[in-house]
Amino acid sequence: MQEKTFLQKAMKIVPISLGLVAIFWFGSAALGLSSAVQQRLCGIVLVAMIYALLLAIPKTEFKEKTFLQNLKIKIPVITILGIVIWFLAGSFGFPVWWQIQFVAFALVGLTFFILLDLRTMKPEKGQVHSVRRLLATYALASIIFITVTAQLPQFDPEFELEKLNKPPMKLTGLAGPEVIAAGREIFEANKCFNCHKVFWEGNSDRGPNLGSKQIGLYSDDYIKSQILDPRKDQAPGFEDKKSKKAMPTYYGDDISDDEMVALVAYLKTMRDPTNIPVEGKFPNQWTWWDDPKIIEEGKVVFEGKEAATEGLNCAVCHGAAGIPMMTGALDFRNENQPDTDKMPDHLPGVMLKDWPDELWYKRVTRGVVGTPMAPWGMIFPHLYLWKAEAYARTFHDPLDKRTAKRPVPPVPTKEEIEAWKTNELFLDPLL
Amino acid sequence: MPSSRHHQHKPSFYKFIFAVLFVFSLVHLAPEPFSSSSPFSLLGDSSIAYAQEEGDDEFAEDDEFAEDDEFEEEGEGEEASAEGEEGAEEEDDSWKTDIGPAKDQVIEPFSFMGLSNRKFTWAAAQLHILFASFILGCPMFVVIMEVMGARRTQGVRKAIILSNVFLGVLIGVVIGITGEIIVGIHHGVLYGLWACAFAALIVSFLNYFHRLLDVKVSAAVGAVFGTLISIPLTPVEHIETSGIILAIINGAVGGVLANMIMFAKSDFKFERLAHEITKVIGMCYSFTALTGGLFLLVMIVVYNDFISYLLGNFPVLFMVVYPTLFILETIVMYIYVYSWDPLNQQNKKGRHIVCGVVLNILGLTLLCALDGPATFMQTPPVPLDKLGEISEWSKIATSTWMPLNYHRLVGNGTFGGYMVGIIGAYMYLWSTKKEEKEYYDWVGYMGNIIGVGIMIPLPAMGYIFVAEIYQYDATIGMYIMSDRESMFMLVQGLLVGTMFSASNIYMWVSMKRIENAQRFFPAMKFGFILIVISATIWFTPRRFFATMMPEPGMNPDMVLPDNLAFMALMISKNTAAFALVTVTFINYVFYTIATKTGKVHYGKINPLGVYVLIFLGFADIWLMSWMGTIRELSRMNWHVYKVFKDVTPEKFAPTLAESGFHVTTIVWTFFIIMTATIWLAIKYPKTSKKPAIPASTAPQMAE
Repeated sequence: MQEKTFLQKAMKIVPISLGLVAIFWFGSAALGLSSAVQQRLCGIVLVAMIYALLLAIPKTEFKEKTFLQNLKIKIPVITILGIVIWFLAGSFGFPVWWQIQFVAFALVGLTFFILLDLRTMKPEKGQVHSVRRLLATYALASIIFITVTAQLPQFDPEFELEKLNKPPMKLTGLAGPEVIAAGREIFEANKCFNCHKVFWEGNSDRGPNLGSKQIGLYSDDYIKSQILDPRKDQAPGFEDKKSKKAMPTYYGDDISDDEMVALVAYLKTMRDPTNIPVEGKFPNQWTWWDDPKIIEEGKVVFEGKEAATEGLNCAVCHGAAGIPMMTGALDFRNENQPDTDKMPDHLPGVMLKDWPDELWYKRVTRGVVGTPMAPWGMIFPHLYLWKAEAYARTFHDPLDKRTAKRPVPPVPTKEEIEAWKTNELFLDPLL
Repeated sequence: MPSSRHHQHKPSFYKFIFAVLFVFSLVHLAPEPFSSSSPFSLLGDSSIAYAQEEGDDEFAEDDEFAEDDEFEEEGEGEEASAEGEEGAEEEDDSWKTDIGPAKDQVIEPFSFMGLSNRKFTWAAAQLHILFASFILGCPMFVVIMEVMGARRTQGVRKAIILSNVFLGVLIGVVIGITGEIIVGIHHGVLYGLWACAFAALIVSFLNYFHRLLDVKVSAAVGAVFGTLISIPLTPVEHIETSGIILAIINGAVGGVLANMIMFAKSDFKFERLAHEITKVIGMCYSFTALTGGLFLLVMIVVYNDFISYLLGNFPVLFMVVYPTLFILETIVMYIYVYSWDPLNQQNKKGRHIVCGVVLNILGLTLLCALDGPATFMQTPPVPLDKLGEISEWSKIATSTWMPLNYHRLVGNGTFGGYMVGIIGAYMYLWSTKKEEKEYYDWVGYMGNIIGVGIMIPLPAMGYIFVAEIYQYDATIGMYIMSDRESMFMLVQGLLVGTMFSASNIYMWVSMKRIENAQRFFPAMKFGFILIVISATIWFTPRRFFATMMPEPGMNPDMVLPDNLAFMALMISKNTAAFALVTVTFINYVFYTIATKTGKVHYGKINPLGVYVLIFLGFADIWLMSWMGTIRELSRMNWHVYKVFKDVTPEKFAPTLAESGFHVTTIVWTFFIIMTATIWLAIKYPKTSKKPAIPASTAPQMAE
């Protein structure tokens, strides 16, 4: 029987493979499998197709190449490939060090393929020759390993020693800022950064960004209980099985009472006067403006029914149904209301629907001079004030009529955070 | 007649026993000072330490008569009681405890050629572990090789049943634990163990007299019976489908392996390979003991207080179990090494195989026993303030004990495989005869297959170990994966990538000596592209600084942006690892098909392949030492994590560069010794004029 040509084989392999891809693609979608599984299944079939096609290539006589022939095609190919990789990685947003890494690996690939196509080595001419080659092999391996370990980023052992030689923490005699600084050390020493970012700092999204979430809005007791018993109350967006058991439960044993005080003091600083808190796991995040649970809790605060804010009742002036009960009170139903002109920092021309979070926060926490709108932030926990604001917005922007969620604000930068302090955006001097 | 002669010896035998008992009684029935040192007192309920406590309690009771409360409290301790006596202005008894001028002598930390206390200890421990891995790893497949090479006599067949069950246990445990941890099957390891072992037993037994089952039927029989037996033996409340599927897979694997090994072609090459490796094992055994002694001596010199504490926590282990196992293993080891030829000549191969299995069982027990103190240092049982009240067994069976046992079991196998590759490569280089070159070319091929084959489940075992560490104390896990040791792990990724690449280069080079293998080359090259891409992904770090948070002098911008962070997460790493393993497996399949369908010109391998094998062996042993370093450093400044602090000047973790250089010097030392050992054990005997393998020592036919 005559063997089939490559084309004949390819005509069989390609349709079958593509058919399988289609079956897997639609089948996995019909079965409700995740898109990752769907992509992987199809990817495997496509790789298998390439393998099958390559195996279908007719057998040719294997000829060894000279060293120059070996390099002739590879060098231009890798040069072009290197340039493509560099720019492609750059366009995806990879920092320069990763661009260098990818191009370096392309060069490793070049070495790999040069090795594969090297001419057969000549046999050793006696024992001395083989010993020389043997030593060269060991030397090559050693040079690679020593160089790699020496060139990769290092930490400073002196710095390590300095940290280890520090005496255990005692809060006696320490004042506010020192306690907060000590808390920051505890935070780092217990490797909280491994899972939690603090605004721009850190690089893991395993747990909530404690800065954007504004953990500092919560009470000391709540924060402490979350550290000691993290399984009790899971952060919104982190309800998956893996996240539920991610936070260790041994911090109660590891962190002394003094250290806990300092740690909580540091966590209490994590607040943002310019943005409403953000919940959820990156990239599926949302702000409190769009959080039905928060809005519900905000309603309780707004209507004066929240025990923690006894004495605060927004509905008295603004009306439980959003109809102002007092002249001059902001009508939350009208999205085109301007900012008050009674305050020196008023924002002219910006309508209620476009008010930045910062303005909401300022007007509620600092009040409006000469009106019954008191600086509620001096009296009540800001946690509840943010909730009430989230609810107030629903009067002109009902939750069930929203077509899209409000965008999650970018994480504040180091400079922005410093500016909050210099601009005195916080009521608390320690923040 | 022999029987009457035997009879005549009886009275003298009894006399001897009587004399021994008499001498024993004389020594052990003596009053107080002698009785406390009786070896049996250790086996009883109260140890010496416990007896000491009782004494102290009595002392405390006496003190209850004292009116002063403070005095009463102090009476609880030995030192305190001395102070109490001073307080009462009694006679100065300090001379009883004064050891002399030595108490004032300060011993300076020792340094020699840049080697400090810590590095001395590190080198001694690492060398000991390397030799120990060789003598524990190699016998596992040496026995299987011996079985493969043996003629199927009645005795050998009986022994094969045993060795098949042994192999079934090993493979069942590895597949089972992978299913248990990676897939989340409750008691997967038990399902795997029982199903695979019993499948191997049943299939071996059914095939004992005649070839009753072929491979497919063996798989079916193994799957059915292995599963049926494993279900009642695995204590789960609800039988889950995943458990049954795991049992079926294990049963089938056990059945197929048992069948294949029972009816292997009895190729003498396997027998020769096993025998030669065993000679090297014999020599390495001495080095294991020597380096073990060195390690202990160094520990006594530099970490005296810690080693006393550690050994003191395991009195039964270090005074009874370990010496017993060590002595037994030594005896069985030397019987195994030196009875090889005599038992072959007497046509008793089966007994020799049984001896090999027993050697392995002893070796693995020893490995598990010593993993106890090692994991006690890493993950001491909590609550830590109750350590003094828990049993010795509880201190051995810590949360990471079994994971480390699995990890070392598989790691040692890989280590052994690559060492076989090295032996093959060395002997290929040192051989001049054509047949010898052909044979050692084949040995290199086998070494690579064993090394790569066993390395495939190794990442899963490592994952299981680290997962358990995370469970115990996530701080250690973070320290390894995303803090001070993150760059160490990056080097590990690079090494694994390098090893898989080198293994594939070896296969590629080897295929050039097989006729008709060229048809696979385009597909293999595509696989190599996938390997480079996978290695790149595996290597990609989340940040290019060596700590979790940037420290002074570090660039905080060297971090992947959030939207690209997935490249550095486990999901990408697992995909890359899967691709690496799969491509290697596919290449291995091509290689196997090529060897079956084309003529292999053994002895004509491109010398590059030989050096790649040596490179591979070096990389594997370097990697193994590296991982040991990572495990060791992950305790940070603790000898026993959060229990016994290291307060010496070298308590901080050494840098990546320092560790890399030190590990390289240790591996060089190991290789220099191993090169000499291989030469002495295998090459040197061949230089004599006598034939290397006398015909009389070849396995005999009985059937």
